[in-house]
Amino acid sequence: MMRVALLGALAGMSIGVPLTVQAQGNTPTRPQGGEAYLRGESLEDRSQYPEAATAYRQAVSQAPTSVAAVLGLERVYAQLGRLDSLLPVLDTAIARAPRETAFRIAQLRTLRTLGYSDRMRAAFEKWRHDVPNDPSPYREFARTLIDAGFTASADTVLREGQDATGSGRDFAYELAQLRAAKGLWAPSAQSWREAVAHNAYLDQAAIFALAPTPDSVRDAVERALLAPPPTPQALHVAAALHLAWGAPRAAWEVLKTLRADSAAVAVWLDFASRAEESEAWLVARDALVAADAARPDARVAARAATDALSGDDPASAAALAANAERTLDSATVARVLLPVHVRALGALGKPADAQRVMEAYLPYLDPGQKADAGRLLAMAWVRAGDLDRARQMLTESGGDDPATEGWIALYSGNLAGARKALRPAADASVERLSAVALLERTRADQSPDMGAAFLALARGDTLGAAAKFEQAARTLPDAASLLLASAARLYDARNADAQAAAIWKIIVTTMATTPEAPEAELSWARSLRRGGHAADAVTHLEHMILTYPESALVPQARRELELARSAVPSTF
Amino acid sequence: MRLLRGIALVLMMLLPAGARAQHLLVPMDDDQSNHLKAYGLTYNALKDGAKGEWLLNYRGGSFLLPDTPEIRRRAGLDGVSVQPVDDPALAAIRSDMSGGNMDAIPLEKAPRIAVYTAPYTPPWDDAVILALRYAGIPYTPIWDEQVEHGDLANFDWVHLFHEDFTGQLGKFYLAYRGATWFQAMRQTNLDMAKKLGFANLPALKKDVADKIRQYVSNGGFLFAMCGATETLDLALAGANVDIASEFADGTPMDPNADAKMDWTRALAFRGAHLESSPYINSMSDIDGHQANVPGRRQPLGTFTLFAFSAKFDPVASMLVQDHRNVIPDFYGVTTSFMRNRLKPGVTVLADEPGAPWVKYIHGDYGKGSWTFLGGHDPEDPQHAIGNPPTDLSLHPNSPGYRLILNNVLFPAAKKKPLKT
Repeated sequence: MMRVALLGALAGMSIGVPLTVQAQGNTPTRPQGGEAYLRGESLEDRSQYPEAATAYRQAVSQAPTSVAAVLGLERVYAQLGRLDSLLPVLDTAIARAPRETAFRIAQLRTLRTLGYSDRMRAAFEKWRHDVPNDPSPYREFARTLIDAGFTASADTVLREGQDATGSGRDFAYELAQLRAAKGLWAPSAQSWREAVAHNAYLDQAAIFALAPTPDSVRDAVERALLAPPPTPQALHVAAALHLAWGAPRAAWEVLKTLRADSAAVAVWLDFASRAEESEAWLVARDALVAADAARPDARVAARAATDALSGDDPASAAALAANAERTLDSATVARVLLPVHVRALGALGKPADAQRVMEAYLPYLDPGQKADAGRLLAMAWVRAGDLDRARQMLTESGGDDPATEGWIALYSGNLAGARKALRPAADASVERLSAVALLERTRADQSPDMGAAFLALARGDTLGAAAKFEQAARTLPDAASLLLASAARLYDARNADAQAAAIWKIIVTTMATTPEAPEAELSWARSLRRGGHAADAVTHLEHMILTYPESALVPQARRELELARSAVPSTF
Repeated sequence: MRLLRGIALVLMMLLPAGARAQHLLVPMDDDQSNHLKAYGLTYNALKDGAKGEWLLNYRGGSFLLPDTPEIRRRAGLDGVSVQPVDDPALAAIRSDMSGGNMDAIPLEKAPRIAVYTAPYTPPWDDAVILALRYAGIPYTPIWDEQVEHGDLANFDWVHLFHEDFTGQLGKFYLAYRGATWFQAMRQTNLDMAKKLGFANLPALKKDVADKIRQYVSNGGFLFAMCGATETLDLALAGANVDIASEFADGTPMDPNADAKMDWTRALAFRGAHLESSPYINSMSDIDGHQANVPGRRQPLGTFTLFAFSAKFDPVASMLVQDHRNVIPDFYGVTTSFMRNRLKPGVTVLADEPGAPWVKYIHGDYGKGSWTFLGGHDPEDPQHAIGNPPTDLSLHPNSPGYRLILNNVLFPAAKKKPLKT
């Protein structure tokens, strides 16, 4: 592993993959140089570089054209800062095996590392003279130049190579890299399409190179990659680029055109994982559904349903779970699908259906699973607004869960009970911490308004919850600023800028001494800037910085101020 | 003496909150939280009519400003560290300064600033514009048309960046002729040449270069970076020679161009050898690093700012005020200047010890003066076309960018007569 890494480092990131593959391809199973080589390898693994160099030198003297031994010597000389000493070894190896590409590449690499640019050029000239019509010298020299940032010179070398060999295809990879480096995005995409068609392992290099494509030419890049006839490799690159550009749906539109075979299933599953990492839940769901249809798998179906739920589409989640249940045995359903199905029905406001589903699989649940399912069902009843049934479910499922009891107490407006149950809970979720923070800000033991606000939140009614937090602020003056801030944050989360700004304004103008005031003024200013009122935003940001100089939000406010004044690029 | 200074500073700290001292010290050593915005604070105070002082070599080249609510307000907004100083404390500071290589230079007037920049250049592609915008210093963008119409006379300070005054558009034609951005750039330049009545781009740029030379000669301050340094002098010295390749003006470069150059017209350089090949991305052998030429490119090191006598050489001292003396080097179209190409009398402000090149130079020309700094972006040493812009809020203490801003404030100084 270390040797591969060293070789990669020597070769440079952009050319590491092909070189490594090539070097491995040329390495015999038992390297020439025998015992000396193996001893060198072992010493190198133990980081005993001077001793390893001696062993590799011995191996090279026994077999001067052993690629493994020469590359071993290169690695340890690089560690020892003695790469100069490798040059005569390479000269000898090249003289004896002039067609061995690995030696030539090592020579270019070494000369580049040592900064011997003129000798590097001379080595290239000699190589192309020794192997006329072979594209390798042009390709490798161009790669070296691209890697060093000399794109214009690399361009010249590649053109010479195309003229000398009469082939453009041999240079697709280098041309692709070069064009990307020069910002010629669409031509670069054309070359990448050609390169990945013949070398599928270059897909990651293509994605890496094309990811910085500016917005204005992304369509052209996509057209170049998807030009007929479509190839699976190019489709894969195009989809990955859409994902990198924050357009997961467009990525899936590209990938779904693949013929549904085992290779496509692998691509779809990989894509689904990437989409999940980007929290593009419904796109991930679609990819998983396609994969499950081509090759049914209960875990994949459950994942699709879970993603649908995460993507706020409980109806789809419930349908997917119900569908899969028809084809699976009861034990598997209970283990894999039941939780997501119950959650989905709960989210749909159908706790009775959820209860029926759970009861159907009750015999297949162990006590722990039963308690978990009971909690899910209790939350389903909470979402339906029936707190009594929720409590009943908790009792019947036999689980001892103070946190869930605390939440139900909070939903009922029993702040004292909620405070007692939620404060010591181990759960460090944002929801619990937010609830505890509010409970600590008021001395009231009962507040139906605050309970109703949290209940609305649990039922997925964000805007309703925000309105109820506003209402609760009127009845709980000791926590009013935090309740209002909670409402404003919810409006912000739902892009209800006007409502959020109105609340932030109230806090700034009437509660200027509360802990929420700096956040309120910063948020208000952000909202103003988003709305195109930069001058007003500047006024509030300046006020915030000068009024609350000790606030931890001041650095953020200064940053906003710089953006509002266009003092720094807004691309960050 | 240091004890007195310490006592004075402690007394200052004991002033009741809200009490106003007579002055605000803007420290420019490591106590400063935002060096770059400190220049903006000082500039804008001068712009509003206040007087200040530049305390050369005192705590990294600190500024002394009047203690006004507005200056305190701006400092608070920008996160610039300021320290209130009353008269006894200031006396202690002055006493401290009198014993070392330090001096106070009065700052009287905010200079009127122009930046020579093409309309197609994004504001984030020029280190000076980045610095000015971040520091909150206003400037006026100008280009060929304004220069040709004589607008330079309206400004105290003019900045040039990586304009190619030889009219060859940085010799990008061969490598980037297919790129949309290059085609647009070329067309805009050609349109401007036509509009102003010039036969080709080299002819226009040479004339613009000469107008800039006249501006300096008449008393203007010129600050140039990157490729503008080298190509301005090439355009001036080659005013009557064809120094452009065929792709730029339709005729090949004069094969005897080297011999025909008139270096008496140039500001900084002499005797340079012009790069005649259109395929080599270099203009001449003035640049020591030749960043874009394989086989010639030199590695980056660090450069060291020279120490000058604040009392006897205040101009050079102002230009090198910094909280770091050794600064990492950074590439540009022109990164450095070969020592053997400098005219006699040019003041070297920073160099790489042991290297055949220098980084930062200054000189007088006629009634004015010029300063050249090699390289493109002090905080992006390997900057390449298409790289994202530098966000200076991530580099508020950049010693490299301070050199640029020293130049901006330098014309604000009321120069004292030399004592020798």
